[in-house]
Amino acid sequence: MSYVIIGNGVAGVHAAEAIRRIDPDGEITLIGDELFPPYCRPMISLVLEGAVTPDALPIRNDRFYDDLGIAPILGSRVEDIDVDNRTVKIANGETVPFDKLLIASGADPRPIKAEGLDLKNIFYMRTEGHVRSMLTALPKVQKALVLGGGLVGFKAAYGLMRRGIATTMLIRSGHPLSMQVDAAAGELVRENLMGRGLDVRVGASVTAFEGRGRVERAVLADGTTLSCDMAVIGKGVLPALSFVPRDKIGVDLGVLVDAHQETGAKGIYAAGDAAESTDIARRSRWVNAIWPEAVDQGRIAGMNMAGRAVAYPGSLSRNVIRIFDMDVMSGGVVTPETDSVYDVIHFHDPKRKRYRKLVFREDRLAGFVLVNAVEQGGVMLSLIRSETPVVVPRERLAAPSFNWSTLLPRAG
Amino acid sequence: MDKRYEERSIAQDSRLLLKKADRDGVETVWDRFEHQQPQCGYCEMGLSCRICVMGPCRIDPFGEGPQRGVCGADADIIVARNLGRMIAAGAAAHSDHGRDLVEVLAAVAEGKADGYGIRDADKLMSMATEYGVATDGRDALAVAGDLAAAMQADYGTRKSELTLVRRAPEKRREVWKKLGITPRGIDRETSEMMHRTHMGVDNGWQSLLLHALRNALSDGWGGSMIATEVSDILYGTPKPTPTSANMGVLEEDQVNIVVHGHNPVVSEMVMLACQSEDLIALAREKGAAGINLAGLCCTGNELLMRHGIPMAGNHLTTELVLATGAVEMMIVDYQCIMPSLGQTASCYHTRMISTSDKARFPGMEHREFHPDNARELARTIVREAVENYDLRGEVYLPVTPVAALGGFSVEAIVGALGGTPEPLLDAIKAGKIRGAAGVVGCNNPRIKHDYGHVTLTRRLIENDILVVDTGCAAVATAKAGFKVADAIKYAGPGLKEICGALKIPPVLHMGSCVDNVRILVLASALADALGTDISDLPMAGAAPEWYSEKAAAIGCYFVASGVYTVLGPMPPITGSMNVVKLLTEGLNDAVGAAFAVEPDPEKAAVLIRRHVEEKRKRLGLDAKEV
Amino acid sequence: MKTVVVHPERCVGCMQCMAACATAHSRSKSLFSAIHERPLPRPRVHVGAGLCNEGFPNRCRHCDPAPCRMACLPGAISRDPDTGTVLIDPDRCINCASCAMACPFGVIRYHADPLGPPEKVVAVKCDNCIDRQAEGRIPACVEICKSGALAFEEISVAMKRKTDQVARTVSSDVGAAPSSPGFELLKAVKKVEAELRASGR
Ligand SMILES: Cc1cc2nc3c(=O)[nH]c(=O)nc-3n(C[C@H](O)[C@H](O)[C@H](O)COP(=O)(O)OP(=O)(O)OC[C@H]3O[C@@H](n4cnc5c(N)ncnc54)[C@H](O)[C@@H]3O)c2cc1C
Ligand code: SF4
Ligand code: SF4
Ligand code: SF4
Ligand code: SF4
Repeated sequence: MSYVIIGNGVAGVHAAEAIRRIDPDGEITLIGDELFPPYCRPMISLVLEGAVTPDALPIRNDRFYDDLGIAPILGSRVEDIDVDNRTVKIANGETVPFDKLLIASGADPRPIKAEGLDLKNIFYMRTEGHVRSMLTALPKVQKALVLGGGLVGFKAAYGLMRRGIATTMLIRSGHPLSMQVDAAAGELVRENLMGRGLDVRVGASVTAFEGRGRVERAVLADGTTLSCDMAVIGKGVLPALSFVPRDKIGVDLGVLVDAHQETGAKGIYAAGDAAESTDIARRSRWVNAIWPEAVDQGRIAGMNMAGRAVAYPGSLSRNVIRIFDMDVMSGGVVTPETDSVYDVIHFHDPKRKRYRKLVFREDRLAGFVLVNAVEQGGVMLSLIRSETPVVVPRERLAAPSFNWSTLLPRAG
Repeated sequence: MDKRYEERSIAQDSRLLLKKADRDGVETVWDRFEHQQPQCGYCEMGLSCRICVMGPCRIDPFGEGPQRGVCGADADIIVARNLGRMIAAGAAAHSDHGRDLVEVLAAVAEGKADGYGIRDADKLMSMATEYGVATDGRDALAVAGDLAAAMQADYGTRKSELTLVRRAPEKRREVWKKLGITPRGIDRETSEMMHRTHMGVDNGWQSLLLHALRNALSDGWGGSMIATEVSDILYGTPKPTPTSANMGVLEEDQVNIVVHGHNPVVSEMVMLACQSEDLIALAREKGAAGINLAGLCCTGNELLMRHGIPMAGNHLTTELVLATGAVEMMIVDYQCIMPSLGQTASCYHTRMISTSDKARFPGMEHREFHPDNARELARTIVREAVENYDLRGEVYLPVTPVAALGGFSVEAIVGALGGTPEPLLDAIKAGKIRGAAGVVGCNNPRIKHDYGHVTLTRRLIENDILVVDTGCAAVATAKAGFKVADAIKYAGPGLKEICGALKIPPVLHMGSCVDNVRILVLASALADALGTDISDLPMAGAAPEWYSEKAAAIGCYFVASGVYTVLGPMPPITGSMNVVKLLTEGLNDAVGAAFAVEPDPEKAAVLIRRHVEEKRKRLGLDAKEV
Repeated sequence: MKTVVVHPERCVGCMQCMAACATAHSRSKSLFSAIHERPLPRPRVHVGAGLCNEGFPNRCRHCDPAPCRMACLPGAISRDPDTGTVLIDPDRCINCASCAMACPFGVIRYHADPLGPPEKVVAVKCDNCIDRQAEGRIPACVEICKSGALAFEEISVAMKRKTDQVARTVSSDVGAAPSSPGFELLKAVKKVEAELRASGR
């Protein structure tokens, strides 16, 4: 049996390990674009910030490929998949045959439309390599611009501020983290960041960058300009699927997979940021491009590829971010449309800077936002994931005293 | 999330102010209650012992862990010792309050209490007679001096029996004598309780509990009774007086002064100062329409009973009253004053004044009152309160006050009945009024605020049971509108007819928590008129939301006096089922009455109705099936 | 192998386990001096209140597989092969709180710890008192819990107890369960109080 895995990110690595655990003899080929050993992508912002050095990034040691008997093809991009002949083509024209294939190519930063993007000191922040080049540029940078108020934009801005760089964040929507949290929590986050010296501008977008060789200013949609000597673009990600033949493999935003992470083409699987699975809370297809889902999906895809049928219960959006002294966690459906099937309850304690929003669908928890006191978030996520009916008064879940035992059957 | 507030209180003013407190970032007793959960089960069951330093110890209620303290005390002994000390503390609190009044009486006699005087000379003389003090042709002040000395003797240990025990029906006194629980000295019984519960003294849980009854009796027929009677002598015996209740009694356009605590000694002088022309004129200069004095808890009840001073709230709402932002000054004496109040007040402009040499509080200014400086000091601090009006900020008074009638001392009730208790007895005999219940006690965040008091009272009057109430219970039912003549509309047909004819409310305000003794005096009068014992009467007591050691003492003197008493919250006794059984069943054989515990007031009402009908049956009166 | 087994029906909510756990994870190991240490040692067992305010000692279940371990970004969470304990390496932890999202029981806290790197906020949870166990001592919370809510026993013994408990409900042959009528009474009262507070009445 020969297995080919496209992408040596966390999904690919977990898939390889799962295959090897079940099939000691199969041939495993791992094709990866990046040369750095498998690493923790979310931690690259900590490198930017200076909280850790790059040697803290790897999630597996140097002997990983050898120990597992994997043949890595690193530094090469897959260009095409020949579904019928069961081969993949890589950049140098070489083809690699497979019996089972995993698409774990992750995601690429979503590009923006603006003039002058070829100027120096304009960065995306997706890879260890990106951060390395940012670090090289940093000594000459005094004023930075971050485009996008999503998770990555945030981490970039936070890292830059920690490096003592005056940073301005431009957000197209009305509040930061609009994909993760509701407006109320977004506002708390904005206040907090402004209080810490971050210049946050909402409803703003860039149409062009200008400068001589290096970026010097950005032109905004309203015609005003902002000077800067660095820009980071963090406008979200798109699955990296340029090599996927869409006539043979179903693709929506991500590669469509069934409960076994298998695509419509038999023997071809997908996992991680590249895959689109069923979202438990939304009850619809969704790309949940987050680390723990990539771990799970990679592992489950690997087991299925090696012949052990294991079903994946579906994915669940969730995120936690710590910005200065503020913790923000969210999960599931956080901003349901008004007069939908969802009920929402809020709890806000301005004095202790706590905010809780709970979203219910009928008698089940479907989503939440927590600002500070996030320790019980895992309990809420497990309620959503297990679709357990909430029989205790809902207000109890929002109360500061909520803990796991609140959900236990009554005493006596 | 308004449900949070609805879960905490049934009172509209409290709910609205809770919301405001949250907005203002003010922590309340309910927040702290929530933070304390879960509370320690050993302590809730009375199974932890901190009496000596070989300990502390606790007993495993499941029988596997330790079953004895280091000294060897088992669950029964530990529970009984703890309960005994609780009652000793309650009795001490009431009795020491009584002592303070006796000292004022003595100071008045010596002419060293400017502003105070003898307001009810008749009561002075009748009390003197009870105490064997000569009255014939003597000057009131001379009698007062001797009476004070005689009462002080009741505190000591020289006697075999407290003087006022003689007020109890003959049969009751026999019961006490037989059990050996006739109280001998007010301080003595408390002191003896502390002695008995020392390690290695009384280790009979039954004998400890019997002494607890004796200790409680030394309060009910001693310290508290002295407190009530001497207050009447000094400040007047209450007569029916119109008043009003809830936070709406604070006035938007006046200087608001709130008195809180239990003892009327300070507040009477504060009231006089608030009425003085020059200070009112000063208030007008400041742009206020006048000076408005309002009460909280039992200090409030004392003023309400005698002078119709309006009532801002009860125990759990004391912080919320500050959150109105309308209080220029709160003056406290002692008991049930939450140590958090100074902190609460610091969020507003309110000045907090503590007045008693034995009660200090963080965040309060201490201005010590004594009989000889009270009048002047009261004027000084009221002036300061008026000056504080300048600093007033936003005011939130979202409710209008509810009218109420207060002032039903025993004398006033008998007066309303036409001079004898006969008409009431006749109504009971005729079955129009089935019986009577004393609904008393505090608030406790375990029970939804005021829900226990109001629900129980409503169900009782609906079923033709006359309710007399005191303390925080009395404030709850006043806010609920049960204390106006018109409230007979809530009463059953018989009670409605009788109260309607007498023009009295179906729920009679008998005063502060020391005034629970008025209920004992009334019960004794009824029992004497029928030639029976208190335990034969179709009557009951209830403390639906009690929290304090004082309430534990009251409950015990009610039961020891023969009154079946239903508690809302469970006392810390469940660690010993022997103690539970004795208190809820065994005492019936000993004193003809026992406790019941029922946190649900709907069910408590059924228990009381059943008890009343049972007693009616035994008296040969018509009885209903409940 | 012995593990900490929780018998929640026996928890009286005294919170003594919390103080004992914090003391066991202090530098001085003595309650009297532990309260003066900076950072303050904190408990790794959390006695929460149930719906009727009954106590519940919530601590790490040392799950297998452990969701927190799978979610941890830098791989700071591992399993000790000898005791099966799920351990957090405070030096590797980046305080990302991913484990807070993963733990279905809500038992992880984030703070500087006297036994961790100085002044670094890290994820902290029950470590089964692995240091005490190495010295042949039982976990601190078990030692102090006198009501039997926390026991250190062989899983098989605990399982047998549970089976007996079930058996008892269907047959009277199995000896009586240790129970406390007084504690049941107290719980019944607290249940009524809680229901009345929550009721619309
Ligand atoms: C700055 C940052 C912070 C983040 N923080 C968090 C966080 O806090 N929590 C969280 O849950 N998630 C976070 N994420 C997201 C998380 O990193 C991803 O969800 C996760 O890495 C996805 O793993 P993956 O294996 O699916 O894809 P990737 O990690 O993207 O790995 C895919 C690999 O495939 C390679 N590849 C792509 N195309 C090809 C090709 N054609 N041929 C060969 N190789 C190819 C890529 O180079 C890459 O190495 C963060 C992401 C970033 C960028
Ligand atoms: S020590 Fe035992 S009884 Fe006390 S709270 Fe902890 S687990 Fe519960
Ligand atoms: S921390 Fe939570 S998820 Fe991790 S092992 Fe413990 S109980 Fe399980
Ligand atoms: S907080 Fe620490 S232990 Fe928890 S997931 Fe993050 S790095 Fe791992
Ligand atoms: S086993 Fe040790 S670390 Fe775990 S909760 Fe008990 S005392 Fe704390």
